[in-house]
Order: sequence, then C-alpha cells, then structure tokens
Amino acid sequence: MFGLILIFISIFAGFLGSLLGLGGGIIVVPALTLLFGVDIKYAVAASLISIIATSSGAAAGFIKDHLTNLRLAVLLEVGTVSGAMVGFLLASLISSSQLFIIFGSFLLLSAIMLLRKKGDSLSMNDHPWSKKLKLAGTYPGHKGVITEYKVENVPLGLIAMFFAETLSALLGIGSGIFKVLAMDGAMKLPMKVSSATSNFMIGVTASASAGAYFLRGDIRPEIACPVSVGIIMGSWIGARVMPRMPAATIRKIFVAVLLIVSVQMIMKGLKHG
Amino acid sequence: MDKLMSLEFKIAKFLRIGVLVAGLLMLIGWLASFQWSGNPLEKFHSYSQLPVFLHLELALMDENWGILISYAGLLALISLPVMRALLTMILFIKQKEFILAGVAALVVIGLLISFTFGIEL
Repeated sequence: MFGLILIFISIFAGFLGSLLGLGGGIIVVPALTLLFGVDIKYAVAASLISIIATSSGAAAGFIKDHLTNLRLAVLLEVGTVSGAMVGFLLASLISSSQLFIIFGSFLLLSAIMLLRKKGDSLSMNDHPWSKKLKLAGTYPGHKGVITEYKVENVPLGLIAMFFAETLSALLGIGSGIFKVLAMDGAMKLPMKVSSATSNFMIGVTASASAGAYFLRGDIRPEIACPVSVGIIMGSWIGARVMPRMPAATIRKIFVAVLLIVSVQMIMKGLKHG
Repeated sequence: MDKLMSLEFKIAKFLRIGVLVAGLLMLIGWLASFQWSGNPLEKFHSYSQLPVFLHLELALMDENWGILISYAGLLALISLPVMRALLTMILFIKQKEFILAGVAALVVIGLLISFTFGIEL
C-alpha cells in the first residue's frame, strides 16, 4: 500500500516537474519527509534522482516535438555547471537565512509580474551570439502552429544561469525555477521552450551531485527505485500533455508553484534569521 | 534530414533507450525485493551512513539480487546525463560545429572536475 502511494505521488511529481521544467524534487522531498517520515538526508538524495529521472524521462519527447532548444541548452550548461561549483565553494562561507528572505521576495515579485503579464514571450530580435551559434528555432505554438522564435540577450541569459545555479547550491533548492524565469524574462523564450530546455539542463548538475550521494550510500534503492519508476512514468505523461496544453495554463501552474516556493523560502529565512 | 535534426534524433534515441533500460532494471529490482506488508520505508526514519560498496557487499552475501539489480538501474540513471553531455560533444565534433563542441567539452570537463574532487553540484 505504502509503495503504491509512493508510486502515485511520484507519477504526479514527474508530470508536474516535466511540465514546468523544475524536476520532481519539489514534491518528492515533502512527500517523503512529511508523509513517510523518511530522514531528510535520504529524501534529498532521492530528490536528486527524481530530477535526473524527470529530466531524462521527458527529454526524448520534448526533443522530438521541437520544444527543447538543444544548442542553447548546451551553451547555458556552461553557466550552470560553473555556477554550481562556485555555489558549492561559497556554501560554507555565506549564511543562507538572509538569502532565503531576499530571493524568496524576488520570487514572490517575479510571480506577481508573471501574473500581470499578458500573452507568451516571443522575440523577433536575434542576439549576435544567437545568430553566430544558430540558436533561434521553431516550436509548435498556439494550436500546434509551427512558430519561429529568436533568442535575445544571450550573455545575460548565460550570467543568469550561472547565478541561478550558484543560488540553488546556496539555498539547497532546485534551480529549475530560476532557469525558467531567466529564459522567459531575459532571453524572451516562449514558455514551453523555456520549460522544456530547463528540463533538459537540470539533469546534468543533478547527476554530478547524485554521484557523490550514491558513493556515500545515501541513495537507497528501497526509496529511489519506486520514486524513479513513478517519476519516469509521470514525465512521459508530461511530455505527451505539454505540447497540447495552452502556454497560458502552463504559466498559471508555474506561477502557483512559484508563489508556494517563495512563501516557503521567506518563512524559512525568518525562522532561522 | 538536416544536421540539427539528425543530432536531436540521436540524442533523443539515446535518452529514450537509456531511461527505458534504467527504469526496467529499477522496476524489476524493486518488485523482486519489495516488502508487501507494513511501511517499507520505516527503516529510513533515522539516518545511518554506510558507503555504497558495503551495501553492495551485504547484498551479495545475502544473494539479494533485487537490490543488486536496483543499484545497476540507479547507476544507469545517474550516468545518463553525463553520457548525454559526452555524446553531444562527440556529435558536434562530427558535424564540424567546433564552437558548440568546445562548449560541450567545457561542460564535460566541469562535470569531471566535480567528480574528481567529490564536489556536490
């Protein structure tokens, strides 16, 4: 019974994680700790596995549907990997309680700005780097119509990825939220392209961390296997549903998750402040 | 098929097969060692650190094939994104896209450094 509940929760986590490009950790960690009473160390280790499972499970579908911008993802991964390394080095030096309040407030503000935003991002201005590396692409837009998009502010996006991952390491939260915000806000990518490209990237840094947890013995198959199997199934569903779902609906769900995470972060910062 | 589509097709195929293999190994391993009654996660209410090699040794001694297959699946899943980064680099080199191949190489080097130094990204 417990195993089945865990599988169903993981399916939902994989579905939501792949839909929004956030990974499944956002649901897996609270479910494991609050519902099953699992120690936080095992839960965090399982959440890394769930991010890899979401990322890899949905990637093939998103690539096939031309939602993932693979060339851009490869470029931005330089920012995420270097940002994660800097974050790891800074983590022991910086107190995270003020950071939780500052960036919780930043996410709250971003959620409000997104709520006020009308329509999806779609840029026709191609940055010189984007022209040089052929980063612009097409994706199935409104009602499946193949829509062309360009990529703005590539250097800013790269810097944003660096800070997204540094912050993620400092705050111990998934970096998907910051990544989607940066791609949507700075690079003006359509919401679906931002989610799918973020989904593609999050697996790489998670796998590097997961390697360390795996060797330490914190990734336990009794937890990680049912979670991963459920997540993979959920991410397959997410990859099938997302191309047909209106971008506005995905944005609304993203804003709702953003609001919950930002309030949680502010409360955590105030509690430890 | 143009260059980008061929590259995307190959990476998508690699990920699809990789996830399927890892997922099946984990499913078989989990079902083989599944505890059908009570809360199977009860023993994880408190944390005790034991390196993975000792877990594997214990499973081998007990001939617990379910756990061993599960670990194989987990290892396959964890290594997928790194293998994908490596494959992307190779494919860009093959297509003579040297700037993006260089960028992909930087990502792979960053990951290798983190593995070598035990950095938890």
